[in-house]
Amino acid sequence: MTTAATNLRPPPFLRRYLTFTWLTLAVAAAIMVFEAFAHPSIVVNTLVTGGMWALMAAGLAMVFGVMNIPNFAHGELFLLGSFTAFTVFSPIQDALFDDPSLTWLKVVGPIPGMVVALAVGAVTGVLLEVALFRPLRRRSRDQWVMNTFLLTAGVSVVAINSYRLVVGNDFHGVPGYWIFPPINVAGVPISVDRLMVLLISVVTIGLFALFLRRTRLGRAIRAVSQDETGAQMAGIDLNGIFVLTMAISCALAALAGASLLFLFPAYPDVGLQPLYTAWFVVILAGLGNIPGAVVGAFLVALLQNLTIFYVGVGWVDVLPTLFIMLILLFKPSGLFGSAVKGVWEQ
Amino acid sequence: MTRGRLLDVENVEAGYELLQVLWDVSLHVDEGEFVALLGPNGAGKTTTLRTIAGFLKPLDGDISFRGRAIAGAPAHVVSRMGIGYVSESLNLFPAMSVGENLQVGANAVREKAQVASTLELVFQLFPRLLERRDQLAGTLSGGERKMLAIGRGLMGSPSLLLVDEPSLGLAPMATVATFEALKALRDRGVTILLVEQNVNTTLRLVDRAYVLEQGRIVLEGTGEQLLRNPHVQSAYLGI
Repeated sequence: MTTAATNLRPPPFLRRYLTFTWLTLAVAAAIMVFEAFAHPSIVVNTLVTGGMWALMAAGLAMVFGVMNIPNFAHGELFLLGSFTAFTVFSPIQDALFDDPSLTWLKVVGPIPGMVVALAVGAVTGVLLEVALFRPLRRRSRDQWVMNTFLLTAGVSVVAINSYRLVVGNDFHGVPGYWIFPPINVAGVPISVDRLMVLLISVVTIGLFALFLRRTRLGRAIRAVSQDETGAQMAGIDLNGIFVLTMAISCALAALAGASLLFLFPAYPDVGLQPLYTAWFVVILAGLGNIPGAVVGAFLVALLQNLTIFYVGVGWVDVLPTLFIMLILLFKPSGLFGSAVKGVWEQ
Repeated sequence: MTRGRLLDVENVEAGYELLQVLWDVSLHVDEGEFVALLGPNGAGKTTTLRTIAGFLKPLDGDISFRGRAIAGAPAHVVSRMGIGYVSESLNLFPAMSVGENLQVGANAVREKAQVASTLELVFQLFPRLLERRDQLAGTLSGGERKMLAIGRGLMGSPSLLLVDEPSLGLAPMATVATFEALKALRDRGVTILLVEQNVNTTLRLVDRAYVLEQGRIVLEGTGEQLLRNPHVQSAYLGI
């Protein structure tokens, strides 16, 4: 019996890849390949929305890892980004309606809105840290996670209703950013907007990863997430890192909102679905794990798009959540474990 | 030979919320000196280092470094002024490689040439770290982790290094290696304030030592003087 079991064990070089995590990734990859032939639109949508969920989830994971804040106001940064982009892009859009021959404006027109959204998001992040989290941190670090959860949930409610009060309940959207005929990729027409959004997310995530890995400040951020005391010993100012972390995280969420304006028009609750999705991703990947959040974002996007295609759009939050719950039953610390632990776990 | 005064701790009282640990502690470290702070468990040795390093605000008293008051300054400011601190729990970055841990240690040093030469010194001192450069800090052995913590402390090019119980939890061989490294550092002119319970070895190594008992300095002297002191002999050396 024992011999049989021993004989059945895979060879050592395979064993590493026969873990639950790798199997999940392999199944996901197989589905992607299959759908690439069967329904290419699922693959395109997965890459487009996955890239944006990655921007949301990476920021969420970083804030949790570095500052131990479960940010439930992250969706309102998405809203802020989409409304900012709408405000900046509308006059440009009007100019294009008046004079459709301005080709250069058709190409660069959407970019100012995204850049301004990025900046507004960063400034909002700085304000949140300086006005809310820093005073709370100075007063007490007991029950920190619970307190900041309640604080950010409160910020979310206040932000949504302030938006309702000031802007109203209307949808503020745009029919499209880049009004060009779709481009054929391997025989499948894909809108330029989707391709650009994919490009934006890939470039942004790439730059973000380089920043964290290769720069002095990026290393300092990771150092703080792994050991605050050790970081202080190395002369790192925690307050500075907290401000920077919050600014980057909020800027990424605002950029996601701005880039997806053509799919998600700005309205008071627009941030809720991205917020929940980003949380699914972060829980699936393991709290505080930034690279895991990027991979997890594409996994969740795949689940969502499969659900929309095969079951119906009404199930888009239900089935992926059930899947994630199942995965967590087998891997309670998330698919990729948790490279970063909160201070209270150390 | 007169040496410049580097660190001056005067009449410091410190502690945690309801518990005062240090009572009227005064000590000083001169430039280039190797000084030890000895004493039993719970005497307040670690509290003294934490207070100097800026992790604990003294309730009373003054601390000055190169003549500038540092009592109550935040830890990262103290570190940037030139006080390196190697804590008992090491506080390494477990998910970073050995090389990255060292790079973070040099976070506040802007001159690239200086970082490179300090890195070379650290690898000379601990060739083991060079071998494990790309390994994650969380996967190192206990002795290697101490080396890395001391190395990271050195990366900020401190003029004073505070080292808390490097021998704690180490196998005898690793302890010897750690003390050898500290001796080599002293020979290179690094000023060290060492906290230890390993009294015999420490007193043979250091220039001067203080004995801390129940939060007060009870003895002070050169290593040889303390080795011959009847109280030290009976309480710590078992003679």
